[in-house]
Amino acid sequence: MPIKILPPEVTSKIAAGEVIERPSSVVKELIENSLDAGANEISVEAHNGGISYLRVTDNGCGLSAAEVEIAIRRHATSKITGLEDLEHIRTLGFRGEALPSIASVSEVEILSRDSGSSAASYLHLEGGKVSAREKKSRPQGTTITVRRLFQNFPARLKFLKSASTESGHIATLVGQFALAFPEVKFELVIDGKNSLRTTGDAELRSSVAVVYGLETAKKMLEVEGTDGMLYIQGLASPPSVERSTRSYMSFFVNRRYVRNALLARAVETAYEGLLMTGRHPVAVINIAIPPEETDVNVHPTKLEVKFRNNNTVFTALVRTLRDTLAKSPLPAIRSGVEDASAQTLWGQFPHNAVLPPLRAVGQLSSSYILAEGEDGLYLVDQHAAHERVLFDKILLQRAQKKPEVQGMLEPLAIELSTQQEQAITACGGLLSELGFTLEPFGERTCLVRAVPALLNGNNLNEAIRELLDEIGGEQDTQKRDIKAAQSLACHGAIRAGQTLDSGEMASLVKQLERTSQPRTCPHGRPTMIHLSPQQLKKEFGRTG
Amino acid sequence: MKVSCLQENLNKGLGIIGRAVASRTTLPITQNVLITTDQSQLKLAATNLEIAISCWIGAKIENEGSITIPARVLTEFVGSLPSDIISLNLKHHTLELKCGRYEARINGLDAADFPPIPQVGDDFSTKVKAEDLKLAISQVAFAAATEESRPVLTGVQTEFEGSKLTMAAADGFRLAVHRANLIEPVKEKVAMIIPAKAYHELNRLMGNEDQEIEITLNSQKSQVLFKLKGIEMVSQLIQGNFPNYSQLIPQTYGTKARIDVAEFLRAIKMAAIFARDGSGIARVIVTPGATVEAGKITISARADEIGDNIGEIDALVDGEAAKIAFNARYLADVLSVVKQAQVSLEVSTPSNPGVIRPVGTDNYDHVVMPMFVQW
Repeated sequence: MPIKILPPEVTSKIAAGEVIERPSSVVKELIENSLDAGANEISVEAHNGGISYLRVTDNGCGLSAAEVEIAIRRHATSKITGLEDLEHIRTLGFRGEALPSIASVSEVEILSRDSGSSAASYLHLEGGKVSAREKKSRPQGTTITVRRLFQNFPARLKFLKSASTESGHIATLVGQFALAFPEVKFELVIDGKNSLRTTGDAELRSSVAVVYGLETAKKMLEVEGTDGMLYIQGLASPPSVERSTRSYMSFFVNRRYVRNALLARAVETAYEGLLMTGRHPVAVINIAIPPEETDVNVHPTKLEVKFRNNNTVFTALVRTLRDTLAKSPLPAIRSGVEDASAQTLWGQFPHNAVLPPLRAVGQLSSSYILAEGEDGLYLVDQHAAHERVLFDKILLQRAQKKPEVQGMLEPLAIELSTQQEQAITACGGLLSELGFTLEPFGERTCLVRAVPALLNGNNLNEAIRELLDEIGGEQDTQKRDIKAAQSLACHGAIRAGQTLDSGEMASLVKQLERTSQPRTCPHGRPTMIHLSPQQLKKEFGRTG
Repeated sequence: MKVSCLQENLNKGLGIIGRAVASRTTLPITQNVLITTDQSQLKLAATNLEIAISCWIGAKIENEGSITIPARVLTEFVGSLPSDIISLNLKHHTLELKCGRYEARINGLDAADFPPIPQVGDDFSTKVKAEDLKLAISQVAFAAATEESRPVLTGVQTEFEGSKLTMAAADGFRLAVHRANLIEPVKEKVAMIIPAKAYHELNRLMGNEDQEIEITLNSQKSQVLFKLKGIEMVSQLIQGNFPNYSQLIPQTYGTKARIDVAEFLRAIKMAAIFARDGSGIARVIVTPGATVEAGKITISARADEIGDNIGEIDALVDGEAAKIAFNARYLADVLSVVKQAQVSLEVSTPSNPGVIRPVGTDNYDHVVMPMFVQW
């Protein structure tokens, strides 16, 4: 096939593909434009996950009639003028690609008025071409409406997730902007329902309260530190507030939301020894750094950032966080040291092997059950074992559609983050099949009316929030169901440190024997270790 | 300090205050007992900062003084001594004990470093019979939450109004409310949340003795004092608002059954054997009597791998047939504390709470939320 230059409608869609991946990318580009325009009130409205309808309204500086016409052309921007400006970008956008990219994959309406114009200019674009041009009235600012996203781009449309997942992405994104710009009043309406509304009072703590809940916000510690040209500021959770996912850590470099493994690692390093493995802090970290020290032009979406000097940033962040944490009352530090000799003495099993009948003989450290089998001694981790028992039971009850449910005498109100709230909407069916009755109760609060019986007597608040965190981020329904069962099993299971009587121990061991995989807990850790009579003889020097 | 007392008195006193000695603590002195001369008596006290217990024993005081001594050493040593007169002699910070031909010296810590036992004034004060208080505690305190995510629910709402004492506890799944009489009416209405743990201790301290218990609240409403014969217990109060529980008690019912408590409890305990491996579900079916047949209640449980059981007991049924499932443990808990021979069980739908009340008295309501099961 001969090589030829692609026609412009193809190249524009290819370029759009890099920036506009899903409805939330549209929202991101538009909010960035609004912020660059100096808006302090931004409202976002989405229907059907933003696929059929998206609108971003701001009160920024607006565009004149002439500017509107230029704005829709590729590489049109007011934010940089030449190559040298790329060295010190202070605006969020600069590539001049957003609007034309959006326009090439959807129907766009632009309505904007700047301070110098007497009326607002209105443009209607279809497939990147202007199809209507009018004068309308509106106060200063810009409204951009995007309809039928990806309608002319079936390849992309096919890869979009369900509307509720896409709404979740939008909610997460707007939440991040709200955290980055506490001085801007953000409003998010999803399918006609108010999902987020910040006060715009310039207090990071009030934004955190809106996004992650009031309880969390109250406990957050102030972070502030500086290292030469770096200035770090934000809020970080005390060790008592912890989450099961990393998604509660947000980083903003020069107020731009970024994903950066280096920064995440720095935070985890600062919390080392304070949190259990697999637990993560809540943190909102703003880093101010001279623009020439960073490169945000790594990818068109500008989600990634490179630092000229990684080490300085890393150490400064770790030190600042450690200083903050040192001021908070510390809980006992958990040691992760393992006894290496245990490995040689105690054998582990091949997985899936059937369990011999066991007789519980006693409890060790209120955490392990000592059990005797026909081939020696077994040490059973009571939490892991119970977790396995409950996990199997949850899966069975779900398969039979017979959850064991305990009603609440008085409904329990739980505060949720935006993501958790979206998870309830997205996974409503799964939650009720598990035995939950959760009702929305105003903004970011839900009422718990019934819970799976196995959670009875546990910290419901924590169990439900963590369950929502676990399932909220998972797209694959099968994996999501497994994660839900793991999370429930973990919260319903007896804890290490709980004293059991002989009846309880015997019952647990017996129930474990009947499970599908008695030797491992649902997370894959062993539930028991084994010491054979031969090993015992050897250790006591009884064999020649 | 130089005093002497009987071994059995000191031993008994140490046993009384022993439960308030801190077991795990960051403040080592709270593992000690405070020994002080108080007029012609010897005062023993211990605190774990949540509750404080003091008791007074008869002693011959030669010299006044005070000291704190490690509780475990002192209690174990005194407990091993023969029944005789013990003389206690304080030299600097060492307490010398002599009893017959046995003696010991135990190093103590300065009494001034002991956390002050809260003084509770007489802003609010009332009296109640030990017997009434014991019944109220035994019927209510067990329903408090043990899990601490909502601290107010780990306590017992205690209200004084006129000549009535009302106690209520709930853990989200059940609610127990008991009403008792005061000996002296109170002038103003007062409500406080007392930790269920403190009530359990108080119950133990009251023993079986016939006595009057004086209840006093401090002016900041942060501590409550219970005065027994020769013993005082102070407890911190839980701060916060207890949920409005009266609205949780159903006012109507569709079915009411009168059942013999002992029979009901037996059937529940049998169901619990089969429900143990599951979530403890006991299914209750109430059948009204017909012209010839008496009304009855059947209680059943089943576990997929083990099997099932069913028990039937006679009941005087008013209203329609009904079925409802409960956690067997919740039913067993309430039936074990009812003193009357019969209870009434009131239910409306399988998803509305059931109410259990003793027959022949109107001082106790116990509300249990059912479990939702497939029938």
